[in-house]
Amino acid sequence: MNDGMSRRSVLTLALGVGAGAALAACGSGGGDAGGEISAEPVTLRFTWWGSDARHKRTQQVIDLFTKANPTITVKGEFKEWNGYWDSLATTVAANDAPDIIQMDELYLSSYAERGALLDLGTAAKHLSTADFEPSALDTGKVGGKQYAVPTGLAAYAIVVNTDLLAQYKVALPDDATWTWDDLKTIGAQISKASGGKVTGVQSWGFDTGGVNIWARQAGASLYDDKGDVAIPPEVLASFWQYLLDLTRQGITPPPSVTIERAGAALDQSGTATNTSVFGTWWNTQLTSLTAASGQSLKLLRQPSEARAGSPGAYYKPSMFWSISARSQHPAEAALFVNFLANTTEAGDILLTDRGVPANTKVRSAITPKLTDADKAAAEYLGAIKVGPAPRVTPNGASGIEAILKRNTEGVLFERQTPQQAAAAFIKELQAEIDAA
Amino acid sequence: MNAPAQLRRKRDNKAAFLFLLPWFAGLTLVTAGPVVASLVLGFTDYNLIQAPEFNGLENVRRMLSDERLHQALRVTFSYVCVSVPLQLAAALGLAMLLDRGLRGLAFYRSAFYLPSLLGSSVAIAVLWRQVFGAEGLLNQVLGLFGVEGRGWISDPRTALSTLIVLNVWTFGAPMVIFLAGLRQIPVMYYEAAAVDGASRWTQFRRITVPLLSPIIFFNLVLQIIHAFQAFTQAFVVSGGTGGPSDSTLFYTLYLYQRGFNNFDMGYASALAWLLLLIIAAFTALNFWVAKRWVFYDD
Repeated sequence: MNDGMSRRSVLTLALGVGAGAALAACGSGGGDAGGEISAEPVTLRFTWWGSDARHKRTQQVIDLFTKANPTITVKGEFKEWNGYWDSLATTVAANDAPDIIQMDELYLSSYAERGALLDLGTAAKHLSTADFEPSALDTGKVGGKQYAVPTGLAAYAIVVNTDLLAQYKVALPDDATWTWDDLKTIGAQISKASGGKVTGVQSWGFDTGGVNIWARQAGASLYDDKGDVAIPPEVLASFWQYLLDLTRQGITPPPSVTIERAGAALDQSGTATNTSVFGTWWNTQLTSLTAASGQSLKLLRQPSEARAGSPGAYYKPSMFWSISARSQHPAEAALFVNFLANTTEAGDILLTDRGVPANTKVRSAITPKLTDADKAAAEYLGAIKVGPAPRVTPNGASGIEAILKRNTEGVLFERQTPQQAAAAFIKELQAEIDAA
Repeated sequence: MNAPAQLRRKRDNKAAFLFLLPWFAGLTLVTAGPVVASLVLGFTDYNLIQAPEFNGLENVRRMLSDERLHQALRVTFSYVCVSVPLQLAAALGLAMLLDRGLRGLAFYRSAFYLPSLLGSSVAIAVLWRQVFGAEGLLNQVLGLFGVEGRGWISDPRTALSTLIVLNVWTFGAPMVIFLAGLRQIPVMYYEAAAVDGASRWTQFRRITVPLLSPIIFFNLVLQIIHAFQAFTQAFVVSGGTGGPSDSTLFYTLYLYQRGFNNFDMGYASALAWLLLLIIAAFTALNFWVAKRWVFYDD
């Protein structure tokens, strides 16, 4: 019968890939990261996730690099966040991993502890880390080894559409003092003024930023130092209760709209389509959002920060550069990462798209060249008061966002209470950590 | 048998084996090898990157208490039990309609067959998401009649139904087989029955169904197996999550998630074998029940 991708092919795919990896695991590693740059033509594969704006900028940097290094070809492979990790896991398992991998904090331990990433210490000849602050470099270490170089820093923020605020004659809240209750009240005003066409708030509960902030404001944390789940169930339940209240009161869109948008690209979000006034985002996404929205967007601090016992806000390494442990050309890959991370030529193009540069030299070099949105993102980072960074996501917990999303869906559709969701979330996440 | 004939047969055999070789190589390398590998991996803890570790029956023990697996089984069984009968009914109905000698039969046959060529493709699943989205085509049409729709795919109460509709829509393949079967039934039976005053319904029950039963059985077995292994539709429509709230968590999708999202290939391999056993059991059951209702006219 008709076989697109069904029947045997799925199983054969899954099984074949597994068997291939089993054989590959016995095979050799890559080349020598400390060796000379090859005089022969070399092709590197480079993979990242992101929006259209990022793809264009990254391609420009690749062009600059290959112009300076004509023997090296860099092939870009870019995806949406949602498909990126499936694809990466598949290619790594098939011993077909790209040489240079854009990495996230969620997955760093999972890949590094399983030996999929190159210890960049062995590539020091081509890749310098001298212009990074030690605290920034530490975020890329697992078990004392430097597996990744942070591209930049980011902080969780609330993005507000000030054009829509003006349209509905609602005053901009003062983010030095506002609370979660204020957000609820203002959001309700907007939803009412627009007749539901535009909602006050875009629901969150699909990424770890929001839940981290909520936990930290309550004096708790998602994980303890050992890497076990430590968030108290009642804190988690109050997080979901808040989101449920917003949905019930029409301050956020109906659950099905929320869920569709959460699964779609950034360009289709409520903020980007100007259909929600307040949304939670990483500060560095402001540039892409402004480009998509075309209206005036502004970054606000998290509500209730002034009242919280300890700041909820924290610096997250926005993402990392890492190199596959099985790369056939680690020296050339290190040279390319060096270009990405340490040169102002690359910095001038990338600006703050991958976070406000963690490389201090690049950061000061690009600051005068930033657009308004970029500048606002950089300023936001300096303006907020942050606490110590949360522990890096433990090995096994990289699926946390899938578990979070599923439970948020269950709560918004009222198939489970916030209390049930909290218990289920903690149980499942801990089981994943234990199994890894 | 004389000597030259024997020689010729030997030569023929050689040629046959030669022609079989590509298929045989494919079977052993691409199918059988991985199948055996997965059986072995099913008894290991294997994270895709490091070497597998033998862990006995641990994976089986996990299955018993794995709530998401149980959800995946519930979803898959409902999908199979609802979509297969509906799909076969639609296929048989259309086949009988077309069998009455419509003008332009070839065109209609192709037109109805088309969805089953496209049905499990990524493109159609993407289209499905557009049609059944909160602001999708269906809701816009409903809106014309003043009916307020919902996000059919993003609502856990209706998400699975949209996938069932998608599967029913791909009735073309069984329809073509039914059509061929209907053509085999001699017209004289119907004529004789009509002379005796049998109604159309009686004719259908007493002539069409019994004489078509081997074909119905064939389609049933095939479509059940097919439905158990549905993957692409759910993967694309839910963005690989099986959401919302695991309402479209097909078995194969869960298997995929364990293997590739959670780096849990040992368990995923065990799950693949469980699926094989389930399908084998269903097929065996089907053959056993078939003895009571399938009529072979020979």
